[in-house]
Amino acid sequence: AEARATSEGQLPGAAAMGTGTPPSPSGTAFEETRLHVFTLDYPHVQIPFEITLWILLASLAKIGFHLYHKLPSIVPESCLLILVGLLLGGIIFGAEEKSPPVMNSDVFFLYLLPPIVLDAGYFMPTRLFFENFGTIFWYAVVGTLWNAIGIGISLYGICQISAFGLTDITLLQNLLFGSLISAVDPVAVLAVFENIHVNEQLYILVFGESLLNDAITVVLYNLFKSFCQMRTIKVIDIFAGIANFFIVGIGGVLIGILLGFVAAFTTRFTHKIRVIEPLFVFLYSYLSYITAEMFHLSGIMAITACAMTMNKYVEENVSQKSYTTIKYFMKMLSSVSETLIFIFMGVSTVGKNHEWNWAFVSFTLLFCLIWRALGVFVLTQIINVFRTIPLTFKDQFIIAYGGLRGAICFSLVFLLPPAVFPRKKLFITAVIVVIFFTVFIQGITIRPLVEFLDVKRSNKKQPAVSEEIYNRFFDHVKTGIEDVCGHWGHNFWRDKFKKFDNKYLRRLLIRENQPKSSIVSLYKKLEIKHAIEMAESGMISKVPSSVSLSDYHEGKIKPLSPTEMENMREILTKNLYQIRHRTMSYNRHSLAADASEKQAKEILIRRRHSLRESLRKTNSLSRERPVLVFYGVFW
Amino acid sequence: LSREDFQRIPELAINPLGDRIINAFFPEGEDQVNFRGFMRTLAHFRPIEDNEKIKDQNGPEPLNSRSNKLHFAFRLYDLDKDDKISRDELLQVLRMMVGVNISDEQLGSIADRTIQEADQDGDSAISFAEFVKVLEKVDVEQKMSIRFLH
Repeated sequence: AEARATSEGQLPGAAAMGTGTPPSPSGTAFEETRLHVFTLDYPHVQIPFEITLWILLASLAKIGFHLYHKLPSIVPESCLLILVGLLLGGIIFGAEEKSPPVMNSDVFFLYLLPPIVLDAGYFMPTRLFFENFGTIFWYAVVGTLWNAIGIGISLYGICQISAFGLTDITLLQNLLFGSLISAVDPVAVLAVFENIHVNEQLYILVFGESLLNDAITVVLYNLFKSFCQMRTIKVIDIFAGIANFFIVGIGGVLIGILLGFVAAFTTRFTHKIRVIEPLFVFLYSYLSYITAEMFHLSGIMAITACAMTMNKYVEENVSQKSYTTIKYFMKMLSSVSETLIFIFMGVSTVGKNHEWNWAFVSFTLLFCLIWRALGVFVLTQIINVFRTIPLTFKDQFIIAYGGLRGAICFSLVFLLPPAVFPRKKLFITAVIVVIFFTVFIQGITIRPLVEFLDVKRSNKKQPAVSEEIYNRFFDHVKTGIEDVCGHWGHNFWRDKFKKFDNKYLRRLLIRENQPKSSIVSLYKKLEIKHAIEMAESGMISKVPSSVSLSDYHEGKIKPLSPTEMENMREILTKNLYQIRHRTMSYNRHSLAADASEKQAKEILIRRRHSLRESLRKTNSLSRERPVLVFYGVFW
Repeated sequence: LSREDFQRIPELAINPLGDRIINAFFPEGEDQVNFRGFMRTLAHFRPIEDNEKIKDQNGPEPLNSRSNKLHFAFRLYDLDKDDKISRDELLQVLRMMVGVNISDEQLGSIADRTIQEADQDGDSAISFAEFVKVLEKVDVEQKMSIRFLH
């Protein structure tokens, strides 16, 4: 400071006097520094450098796992990443003898969490989500409440037993702890369920619950935290809490939807500047998240609502390349975030913020499991009365078992103010144990359990190639009949929304010239494509090969060797057309939409004759009715 | 309803078996189906209820019995209505369900294999009884049932 003062004083002095050497940049006026040929200036780039190194490390770790191709199928990636984090944390701890940088809760909530939720919300199968919305909502709200209060009260009961040395933890603190540990975590659920390929229905139940319970978690957490800090609690406060829940949930969703519409509207005008179209998608969704966080509303619900709204309209407005960019960039961001989260969790575990207490930790774990299982069971009994397809015991088991805790409760526990919570370290330890248990043990065992349960269901396996064909055949038939009777579509609200959508929203949010030209241009595209295919592959021969002919004439068909059978099954599984999205298994890391687009085009090409006939007939029969056969099909 | 009305359903347009399904609604040789006929076809897909034991053993089997569901599926294969699925008919359905990447030879051998697994009387075609036998372990009730009007 002294040097700086003198240099400052020197400058005007030197200028006035015009004598003496000007002060060197380092501030010491009385030293001359030679010109440095080579300098190392780490503090200048420290922050971006470290961030880049972390991300690089995370990505390299991911590569490392997939080198041994069997590993990711046995152990979910999240476990491996936590292990890497633990290792790193251990190294840092050993090297510097102090607790390594704990994951900053702000960094987590503001930077690492939104991309994952955005990615999940954007690619969420909306139809299935809304059909199961009642169930999801029921599980999320009532289930989380049940868990939170149950765990809180039972832990309080345990704390009362003086033998464990926990009597200083009050009921409110226990309730707060219960509320933050009962939240099912979307990041962990995604990471684990991605590997085991359960059917979409089950996946959407667990994942939807993990998204929607954010509202409840936010409310309960803030509620109990304020209660802990207030002296007296009046009844009015409880009602304020309930009102807060509605505001938090609905407010978040409204912000998301509003910004989703604005984003869709913006993309209506971007056809001249295609290059920055993806940017709008990301900006608006992130904006919705932080706006919601600003008002202490549920950011996760906001960004989910925004993504789901945007998805419908933005897809029609942006160019194909922008759409691909959005998809890949989103996947990349969410992948990186997820990796970082798990590594940080591992790193933050090592250190000195732990306090071990056998009773508290083990009972926490026990109660988490018990209350989750009880909750799912009881709630399912109630909700099955209202459901069209009741949930079986296997479904219930998977739902209960899939209630994984993760980084959200981890960050929430770090956010507890230590002044109000003298036993904060105890809480941290308990949370870490629960998270590790759910992620490691439940994560690793869920896959064999899923397979085990499945094997029980279908008792005898038919070693037949025809099985594949018949199954797919039945699926196609059922899907077709469902479409004929409009089974999935006659939901009253859905129709109403569709009408409203078509009348107002689409006209407002989607660029004008799309609907009219798309049919004609699409039909032309199909014709050209078919012509090219025929030219490239030559005519597909209709004459059966001589080999199969001779066998046929002989009247017997030679038995196939196992390898040939395997080949056949492989060919079939790869090439049989998929039925509609609805029952495909869900995989986050692959973009399955391309396959079904290709498939739809192939089928349409093949059927173009019969469809053209019908088009011609309708054109001649009724000219007023718009020919929208293809429009509904193609997005 | 006419065939064109069905073909206007977008999802049916991209269903590989769309044409066959539409044909299933129309009785022999007719181009129009009334509501009754429409309902008859859809009735095949009612879920089988466990507690609804066959009250009158003498009366006709309900349309949604397992046997009738299988019959419906069988008729989708069997275009010429000779109560047998010949190799050609099977090939046709297979070709409809499968992408453009499979050659005719491969498809032929798959069809042969399918027939061989089902065929018991050696006529290189699948009769209805053989069809039922092959599918006895498949949960047809689940696959061919839709809960209507929920």
